[in-house]
Amino acid sequence: MRRQFRVALLATVATLVAGAASAQDLITKDRVGPADAPKTLSFRLTGDGPGNTLPDVAEGYQKLFVDFIQKHPGWQIKLERMSDNIGQEQARMLEQTKSGTGPDCAAVDSFVLALFMNAGVLKPLNEYFTQAEIDDLFPFVREGITGKDGKIYAWWWDTDLRVLYRNKDIVADAPQTWDELKAAAIASKDKGMEGLLVNGGRWEGTTFDWLANFWAQGGKLVDDSGKPIFADGENREKFLKAVNYFKDLVDSGAAPKRIATIVNYDEFNAAAAAGSTALFIGGNWQLAQLKSTLEPEEFAKWTFSPIPGPTKDQRSTGTGGWTIGAFSSDPEKVAMCAAIAKEVYSGAGNALQQQLPTSKAQYDKFDVFKSDANKAFAAALVDGQARPGVPIYPEISNQIQVMMGDVLTGAKTPEAALDAANAAVQAAYARL
Amino acid sequence: MTMTGAAMAGGRGDIARTSLRRRIENHPFSWLLPVAILLGVFYLYPIIDVFRLAFTNASLRGGEEHYTADSIRALIVNPILPDILWTTFVFTAGSVIGQQLFGLGIAVLVMRGERRRLYGMTALRTLVLVAWVIPGIANGLIWQMLFSEAPFGAINSVLRMMHVQPVAWLSDPNIAMLSSIISNVWRGTAFSMIVFYAALKAIDTTLYEAASVDGANGWQRFRFITLPQMRPAILVNSILITIATLNTFDAIISLTGGGPGRATEVLSLYTFNTVFRNLDLAGGSVLSVLMLIISLLLAVGYASMMPRREPNE
Repeated sequence: MRRQFRVALLATVATLVAGAASAQDLITKDRVGPADAPKTLSFRLTGDGPGNTLPDVAEGYQKLFVDFIQKHPGWQIKLERMSDNIGQEQARMLEQTKSGTGPDCAAVDSFVLALFMNAGVLKPLNEYFTQAEIDDLFPFVREGITGKDGKIYAWWWDTDLRVLYRNKDIVADAPQTWDELKAAAIASKDKGMEGLLVNGGRWEGTTFDWLANFWAQGGKLVDDSGKPIFADGENREKFLKAVNYFKDLVDSGAAPKRIATIVNYDEFNAAAAAGSTALFIGGNWQLAQLKSTLEPEEFAKWTFSPIPGPTKDQRSTGTGGWTIGAFSSDPEKVAMCAAIAKEVYSGAGNALQQQLPTSKAQYDKFDVFKSDANKAFAAALVDGQARPGVPIYPEISNQIQVMMGDVLTGAKTPEAALDAANAAVQAAYARL
Repeated sequence: MTMTGAAMAGGRGDIARTSLRRRIENHPFSWLLPVAILLGVFYLYPIIDVFRLAFTNASLRGGEEHYTADSIRALIVNPILPDILWTTFVFTAGSVIGQQLFGLGIAVLVMRGERRRLYGMTALRTLVLVAWVIPGIANGLIWQMLFSEAPFGAINSVLRMMHVQPVAWLSDPNIAMLSSIISNVWRGTAFSMIVFYAALKAIDTTLYEAASVDGANGWQRFRFITLPQMRPAILVNSILITIATLNTFDAIISLTGGGPGRATEVLSLYTFNTVFRNLDLAGGSVLSVLMLIISLLLAVGYASMMPRREPNE
């Protein structure tokens, strides 16, 4: 009996060890699946994958990918990790896919998806998703991935939004309007803080976070044909009002002048950890980062609320996120790419990273999205606004970043800065 | 084989070798071909392609590519270009002057230290070289932390401890340029130091001994012996670091991103932004051609100032 027990125990251990070894063999730093698998798919991805810097997330993705590849025998996935310089990576990938040397499948940032769609390098994915799944996507997501022919050209699997974070000990009530935010920021300075922190340097976050103030007034960057109209008529007034709001925050001391140098959301986490700010406008993902950065009693002081608007009823927030698109001409590879989007990222990946899903059904499916914080984020998506999916957007963004630096440092008046930005954008539009 | 036969065979071998040497001397293209192919593929072809793209409407967005002079016209009427060129001039001039001065100062210091057999001169040389091997992006990030205007920024924290008003290192447009130059000088000084150190080593010591006999003081020896003897090294170094600084964008992109506004957006960064942000390949190619022309003009200008070798030298 004892011998039988030993044999059984050994067999179990051997099976477990063999299983673990086999799972390890199925995933390496740059490959998922057996190295001798006959079919290969190249997949270019961001940190959202087995190479994530957070061990828990990396492990979670490793498991998801191993489970996935076991369901798709005969395949190996070659992983190509992008650097953190996303703008450059996406531009390079666009060039590669145009010349036929790009990956078979890749993560495409939602705000440049239109460029890839217009370049004609993405393959339609309709046959891999049901109409019910497509209809369940948030409207801004569905519109973002749909081409002029009505087909979907990528799967937008996660989204995010910007909110106002505050330290409740210093700013007890959530500011609802621009004036209330300014007053709260100035009051926080009396308690040793440096005021409100926002992105203001030369990077996409500056444009995106500030645009909420323009959109809240109903401002439009481009018309239906994609022509830039932000400096025309009513839009000009709304644009200048939003620029003057930021300028006033700096001039009044509600925000430090150094915001003109902030080019990273991590600066806000650092300031929160150092106890030097009580207010900042950041992304929803930063709540989890604050939780892991701060001591529990410090984290308990922090909360978030929708970004204040010019009035209580005028609100907006920028929504972004990542899509997965297929570039290969091989239908089998396109199907495999769609399967990665569906089985690894959409839902399971959202839950793993607590990245907001893009469809209503998934908020009910995963418990993690039933937390108060995630419910609040989901509710705030009602005011969500995506960046226009037009080819001229990157240049509009670039010019807004330049304009913001010029205005916040006092190098140009808002009017002169807007005129210079518009002239540059119109010149670029004429060359499209 | 008889002696005569062996001598004849040796003679034939010599004749064959001489003939081969003559053939190579008269027709050098065959042995220059591998190098020419290498240079052509990796250096000449990209330059030719950049010239070609400058005469197109090429864009990373897609669309049909055709030949046009619109991209060149757009650059000429671009109202931003004069500001970008001025920013580039200030950054390049500041960096080149700073790197030469500090490079020369450190090289002289190391030489004197070595002559006096002071301890730690090798360590000093190595320390300066450390900055040179740091990649540009890392250099920018290091200085970004040092210049940070956050309450916990490194340099400003020290200033506060000394009861000195903090400095707007990166948010003031004028000071941001100075900060960019400081970071570039810190990184580039080592190269100048190596060039000047080698040049100092090559100066004949009898010149200094003769000057000492004539009663020359330290400054006079430096002014009338060291500097004239180093003129070729200074000019060569000027060409090399001017071109290197003109092409610098990695350290700036990670330090200021070109901001605030366009305060630190030099020509190379503007070119990078034109291609990778505006996705305008043709516009970026026109700017690259402009950079190439500026570099060539500077190189020719510096070279014309080089001392000429006498025919009997």
